[in-house]
Amino acid sequence: MSAPVEGIVLAAAIFGLALSTFITRTSFLLAGARARLNHRIEMALRYAPVCTLTAIIVPDVLMHGQDAADFSPLNPRLIGVLASALWLVWSRNILGCLALGMGAYSLARLFL
Amino acid sequence: MVKGGLSVPWAILMSLTVYAGSAQLAALPLIATGMPLWVIVATGLVTNLRFVIYSAALRPYFADQPMAKRAALGFFMTDFTFTLFMRAAQEGTLPERHRDAWFAGVCSNNWMTWQVCAITGIVAASYVPTDWGLEFTGTLALVALVGPALNARPALVGALVAGVVALLAHGLPYRLGLFAAAIAGIVAATLADSWSTPRPPRESGEAS
Repeated sequence: MSAPVEGIVLAAAIFGLALSTFITRTSFLLAGARARLNHRIEMALRYAPVCTLTAIIVPDVLMHGQDAADFSPLNPRLIGVLASALWLVWSRNILGCLALGMGAYSLARLFL
Repeated sequence: MVKGGLSVPWAILMSLTVYAGSAQLAALPLIATGMPLWVIVATGLVTNLRFVIYSAALRPYFADQPMAKRAALGFFMTDFTFTLFMRAAQEGTLPERHRDAWFAGVCSNNWMTWQVCAITGIVAASYVPTDWGLEFTGTLALVALVGPALNARPALVGALVAGVVALLAHGLPYRLGLFAAAIAGIVAATLADSWSTPRPPRESGEAS
């Protein structure tokens, strides 16, 4: 293993990372009118938020730091997410969702 | 970040310029172990791939805006603000004019909150124990965003497929599994949409 990146190389790495975030986020926006996508594709992209966020959430809840999914009902993260989901059935209030989810998660970690 | 081996000033610089939590998390171990520059940048690109999709989804709403404004709106976009914007667009709660200002307002609030919290975290990292599990609030905030969007069959199908693919592809490096899951979910949702009963076409959101 080599030494940690430092000084000018670290600055270059940070600049490169900044550039990579900029390029990906502005790609189609900067292309503007020249990058008209097929109408079907643009309609399909309406589902981008829900699909991407689910793909972030599910492994984080079920495989947190492990190699295999943990479907056990004693998984504190699963309990926390279920509590939040139940809250969301009758309210959209985000703070309540966070409070209930964190409460259930913390209790489960303490007592299970 | 400080725990990942960066000194405080470098960590603050990185937080201010690399507005991408997942790219930072993926790149830090590579920086700490002295990987070549191109590997670090390539990791940043791949980790951010989903924003290419977001950028394509936002394009029609801002196509008539000047270049600099499109660049700024893109740079300050996040998973969170993009989802809020698309939800407002689909529910018809987005103003007909000044959508750019609406989005800029959401994004600037989000950016300031993020930076204040990130820099507090960088400075105070050694005082907050990691075993409090505070990072789980981030996951729950995403749940609060996704929940209300699961109101129709195509979205449910898309989320289900995306979740399963994300689990199966979790072992792929550089968060490629996330990108694959997003694509699979979007395709599945679109198929479910075209198979369900035909509806009057929705507002495409094309800038007028």
